[in-house]
Amino acid sequence: MERTERLLDLLALLLDAREPIPWAELREAFPEDYGNCSDEAAERKFERDKAELLELGIPVAYVQGDDERKDGYVVEREAYYLPEVGLTPEELAVVYAAGSAALASGAFPGSRDLAHALRKIGFHGGQEFLSPRVRMELDTVQRGDELAGRLETLRDALAGRKWVQLAYYSPRSERTTERRVDPYGLAMRRGIWSLVGYCHLRLDIRSFQVHRIRDLKVNPAKPRSPDFEVPPGFRLQEHVASYPWEHRIHEPIEVQLSLRRDLAPLAAQIFPSARVERGPNAPEVYVRATYLDGLLRYALSLGPACVVTGPPAAVLRWKGMASLVLAAHGGKSAVRGGS
Amino acid sequence: VSDVHERLRRLLFLVPYAAKRPGISVTELAQALGLEERELLRDLDLLTMVGRPPFQPDDYIDIYVEDGRVYVDLDQRLSAPPRLTAAEAAALSAATHLLRSSAAEALESVLAKLEKVLPAGARPQYRQMGRTIDASVEAPKDVGPLSRAIAECREVTFDYFSHGRGATEGRTVRPLELLSHRGQWYLHAYCCSRQDERLFRLDRMQKLTLTTRRFDSPTGSRAGKVPDPAREPGEVRVKFSAAAAPYLRERFGDAARAIDGGGVEVTVSGDSERWLTQWVLSFGGEAEVAEPAWAREAVARAAAALLEPSS
Repeated sequence: MERTERLLDLLALLLDAREPIPWAELREAFPEDYGNCSDEAAERKFERDKAELLELGIPVAYVQGDDERKDGYVVEREAYYLPEVGLTPEELAVVYAAGSAALASGAFPGSRDLAHALRKIGFHGGQEFLSPRVRMELDTVQRGDELAGRLETLRDALAGRKWVQLAYYSPRSERTTERRVDPYGLAMRRGIWSLVGYCHLRLDIRSFQVHRIRDLKVNPAKPRSPDFEVPPGFRLQEHVASYPWEHRIHEPIEVQLSLRRDLAPLAAQIFPSARVERGPNAPEVYVRATYLDGLLRYALSLGPACVVTGPPAAVLRWKGMASLVLAAHGGKSAVRGGS
Repeated sequence: VSDVHERLRRLLFLVPYAAKRPGISVTELAQALGLEERELLRDLDLLTMVGRPPFQPDDYIDIYVEDGRVYVDLDQRLSAPPRLTAAEAAALSAATHLLRSSAAEALESVLAKLEKVLPAGARPQYRQMGRTIDASVEAPKDVGPLSRAIAECREVTFDYFSHGRGATEGRTVRPLELLSHRGQWYLHAYCCSRQDERLFRLDRMQKLTLTTRRFDSPTGSRAGKVPDPAREPGEVRVKFSAAAAPYLRERFGDAARAIDGGGVEVTVSGDSERWLTQWVLSFGGEAEVAEPAWAREAVARAAAALLEPSS
């Protein structure tokens, strides 16, 4: 008998039973599978089947009998059936919007689990999840088909706490390095997925952009026993850069910017984690940067209403960049690699 | 996840789902399950052999197809799907977190309700997995109510600022789809006053209201398409230095052509001068517009404005 079929038969039997079913009776009920082999082989086979059912969320339990009941296996119906989740229409709309956006993005870790979950929560209400109505393009990078697969592999490694071996490409050095990483978490910011984990090459917690992983292998040994523990104080949010100036390139410095005219009311939106103070004419924003150039380029893209006002070295570099752009477009080229 | 696991959880959903909708068409059922029709028919074949010992005629699941429609006469107690697994709940929670910036309250409440229906044994794994994935996007608060209006096919009204007209006017639309692109959110909708499908930017909407007027779920509407200056074939040629080249190759792939000196060049749309100048400036001197002349001048003007003594 096919395994899928046997597992369903077993579940149907247990769900219908009014009393625990002793092991001997299960063996009789499935003579081909649990009957015609040694006690030990039959038990092993049943244990594997039971584990599969448990993984599907089916509450198979063994109960000790008493004067009135025999020892045996049960599936409690109460615990098996999905109850009403009781989401309000607003809540369901948010879940469907986010869920469909995640699925439509084409790469979301756990997308199969997500698709099942979305179907299940609409089951009782009759409000069905069909096709995505919210699409988020998360493609700030040209992505291959590998991204979706890599995210699934990493999610499995995270759940099982297995180390991974990466070939990681750095556009800064234009080189690929091999490293072993204990994966602690996956985060997405501004459309980019990053793996955060303990890097055995750098001997520290590092973050890796998943689209730059060229090759990925999970430790194949002992898939069911974890390779490491995540340190108790670890917090994923503290290790992912939401903005270019949060990449850890140098020691942190505080950069002061003045947001004028139409940017003035947007200070808190443009720099959410920065300190904002009322200046004499315009809000002054204090941004903690660990990658100055990232911040300065971003400031340039905001146009003349965003002015870098301190420290002097940052102001100089910001003006230097603007001068380069001006020189490049004012006749003579200042861009290396240009004509 | 093994194939057996995947198929089992599908079948455990399929039976109660079909039983609740007597006569659902094979096409609809396949679509609801994310399957090809032939895959669904194979699943149905397998299910007709499922039952419980001692396998008397009434002990089997009775599910059959008649005239392209599916009926369940005996479900063998598969009357509702099993509860969420830890992995399913964790994936749902991770996805819902995507919209936390626009729907923080709904998110809290959803997560609390989700945890309540989880089997007690699954909770530790659910929490552990929850700590490992953290995805978020910046989304305006109107995304919540608009999602609901789309799901419930309700007309909405809002005030919309049109750059073309330089004025704000009231609109009534049938919302079809929400799209986000490069941090910008758009609503693709049928505009009742223009009698055509349009794209609206969420940051230009004010006073969004959901009406009680329902419309028929749309069929055959065009898919909304957001403008993407960097991806649309354009006339502006931009050159990049060797230092910036690897990042451009990541984003443009083969469309980033190698030039002398180790740099690359790409061609982008010149529809939006504002976008173009901001984009070139964001490379801080590593990018140069090669042609046309008007685009070079626009970037030069923007750079000069930055260097003027601040007001």
